[in-house]
Amino acid sequence: MKIVRVNMTNLSVKTEEVPQKWANLGGRALTSAIVAQEVDPVCHPLGKKNKLVFAPGILSGTAAPNSGRMSVGAKSPLTGGIKESNSGGSAAQKLARLGIKALIIEGLPEQGKYYSLHLSKDEAKLQEETDLVGKGNYEVIDTLSRRHGKNIGVITIGQAGEYKMLAANISIKDYHGYIRSAGRGGLGAVMASKGLKYITLDDTGTPPVPIAEPEKFRQAAKTFAQALKEHPVTGQGLPTYGTNVLVNIINEAGGLPTQNFRRGRFAGANKISGETMYEYITTRKGKPTHNCHAGCVISCSQVYNDESGNFVTAGFEYETIWGFGAVCCVDDLDIIAQADRICDDIGIDTIETAVAIATAMEGGVLPFGDGQKMLAILEEIKKGTYLGRIIGCGASVTGKVFGVSRVAVVKDQAIPAYDPRAVKGQGVTYATTPMGADHTAGYAVTSNILNVGGHVGPLAKEGNIELSKNLQIATAGIDSAGLCVFVAFSMLDKPEAMDAVNQLLEAISGKEFTYDHMLGLGRFVLKTEIDFNRAAGLTEVSDRLPEFFEEEIPPHNTTWDFTPDELQQVFADLKEEVKSPPAEVWMAPEDEPRTRPTVELH
Amino acid sequence: MKLEVHLFAGLFCNNEELDCFGETDFEMEVPENTTLNELVKLLNLELPYELIYMINGKRCDKSYCLKDKDRVGIFPPIGGG
Repeated sequence: MKIVRVNMTNLSVKTEEVPQKWANLGGRALTSAIVAQEVDPVCHPLGKKNKLVFAPGILSGTAAPNSGRMSVGAKSPLTGGIKESNSGGSAAQKLARLGIKALIIEGLPEQGKYYSLHLSKDEAKLQEETDLVGKGNYEVIDTLSRRHGKNIGVITIGQAGEYKMLAANISIKDYHGYIRSAGRGGLGAVMASKGLKYITLDDTGTPPVPIAEPEKFRQAAKTFAQALKEHPVTGQGLPTYGTNVLVNIINEAGGLPTQNFRRGRFAGANKISGETMYEYITTRKGKPTHNCHAGCVISCSQVYNDESGNFVTAGFEYETIWGFGAVCCVDDLDIIAQADRICDDIGIDTIETAVAIATAMEGGVLPFGDGQKMLAILEEIKKGTYLGRIIGCGASVTGKVFGVSRVAVVKDQAIPAYDPRAVKGQGVTYATTPMGADHTAGYAVTSNILNVGGHVGPLAKEGNIELSKNLQIATAGIDSAGLCVFVAFSMLDKPEAMDAVNQLLEAISGKEFTYDHMLGLGRFVLKTEIDFNRAAGLTEVSDRLPEFFEEEIPPHNTTWDFTPDELQQVFADLKEEVKSPPAEVWMAPEDEPRTRPTVELH
Repeated sequence: MKLEVHLFAGLFCNNEELDCFGETDFEMEVPENTTLNELVKLLNLELPYELIYMINGKRCDKSYCLKDKDRVGIFPPIGGG
C-alpha cells in the first residue's frame, strides 16, 4: 500500500512508501495521524498549510461486511480543530483496491483555477477542469459516469464547496449513482481551496486487497455478517425503516429538539416519522431498503420518490429529517425530501444547514414552520447570495449575523438531533468530542434510549461520563477499521460480532488483534486529535454546551447540569497516554508489488 | 383506569377481541393494578425479542404497575443515528 501525495502548488503527483509508524493505521486513525503530523494547528484552514487527507479503512476493499467507509480529514474551517468525517459510497473500496492507503492533497493552485484528479492502476492524472465548475453534484456524477462508465468512483464538491462555505461537504458517488456525504466540518470548502473539483477512481484490473490469512478472514466475515443479520436492529429495524425510525422513539423519550431546541417533543413527529416514510416509499414505488456501499448487509438507506413516483432523494436520514423537520417546525416530509435533494446537489451538510435555518428563524429571517421559505433559502445558498452565504456558513455564523444568542453549537458545529438535556450521554459526547457537536462520535443514544449495550438513564448524570467516554474510544477504533458505525449495535450485544471484527483485523494482518488493541487504537486516535485541538487553541473551555441549555426542556423539564470539571473527567486519563500508535499489530503483510499509479502532469 | 397507548415501528394491537385491534394509537380502559406485562399480553404483542417500553417518556420494565392516564409507548428493537 502506498501514499499518494498531490501538490496543488506545483501540480505534481507522487507516490510514497507508507512510513512504518502509519503501517498499522487506516481510516480515521490515519487521517488524524497525518493531519496531526503535517498540518500546522494554527494555520488558516483554507490556506496553503492545510492538507486534505482521504483514507479507506483498514478493512475497506475486502469482503468484510460493512467495511466500505472512507475517512476524510483536515483542519476544519468550521470548528478550527481537527476533523474526520466519514462516508459510504464506493470511494473507500476503490482507493483500497488501487493500493492507496492515503491520498494527501496539499498546497494551493493559482487562484480561481479548478482541477480534476483521475486515479487508476496505470495513472494518476491531474488536469485543469472548466466544464463542470459551477455545476451541482448530480450533474457532475452523471457527466463523469457517462464519460468513464457507470462503475467509476467519484468524490466531488458542489457549489457550496466552490463558495468555500463552512458547511460545505464532500460528496461521494455510491454504486447506484446516488450521493453519500462526508458531511460535517466544512471539508468541501477545504477541497475547493485546493482547487480540486472532483476525483475519479477507476479500479479496473486491480489485484485484491492482500489478506494474510484468507480462510480465517472468510470465516470471520461470514460470522460477522450472520451476527449483523440476526440482531433485530441491524437485521430488521434499520433495513425496514432506515435511520428515520428514530423520530418516534426520540420524540417519545422527550429528546427530539423542536423549534430551535425549545421542546423535546414535536406535534408533527408522526407525519415525518420512519413509519410514515416507509408508507410513502412503498406506495410511490421507491425503495425502502438500499445499501450505500457494496458488502453492506444492513442496507439502511432508501430511495424516496415524489407523489408522481419520480426520484427525489436517496439516503434520507433521521438527522436530516429532524433538522429540516422538527427543529424548524416543518411537518411535511415531501418538503424535507426536497431540502435533502438540494443539499446533496449543492454539497452542503444537512445538519449544519438545518440548524442554521432554525437559527435564522430565531432571528426573524423567516417564520418557524415555513417550509417553502426554507427551500427558497436553500436555493439562495446555491446561487451564493449574501443570505445564502451566511446560512451556508452554518449556525454559529448565522447566529452572529442576526444577533441570536440561542445557537445550538459546540466548537461552532451544530448540535444534531438528540437534545443533550434529555439524552445526557449524548450531551457529554457533544461537549467533549474533538470533532465539535457530532452524534456519531460516541452514540450514547444506544444505552440511554435504545436498550442496546445495557441501560444508562438519559435524564440523570449518573453513568453518562463513562458511557460517552467508552463509546468515543470504541467508535474511534471502528472508524479506523472502515466499518459503518451501525455495526456497533450488534457488537455491543453479541460477543461473536465483537470477536469476528477482531478476527477480521487479525486475519488481514496476520498479527494478533484483541479488543484491547481496538481500544488502544481508539485512545491513540482521540489523544492525537485532542492534542491537535489544544495546539490549535481549542482548550478545555471549548468543551462546553451553550448556556441556553441551562433552561428546562419539556416534557421532562430537565436541564444541562454537568460542570466543566465533570466534563474534563471524560478524557482525563488520556493525558497520560503515549503519542505513538499502539504496538505493532495487524501490520500489512509483505506481498507482491502492487501496480503503482504513474505520474502524468498537465 | 384509562391509558393512552402508542405502538410503533410495525407493532399494532394484535388481539382481535379488542376494539383497538389493528390500531397503533388508541386509548383503552384496563383494571386497576394492571402491569405493563399484562398489557403486553392483552395486546398480544409478545415477540421473540425484548421490546422497548416507555411510560410517560421514560424507560421502564415490564413489571411496572400502570397508573391512570399513563402514556404508554412500545417499540420493537430499533436503532439508527
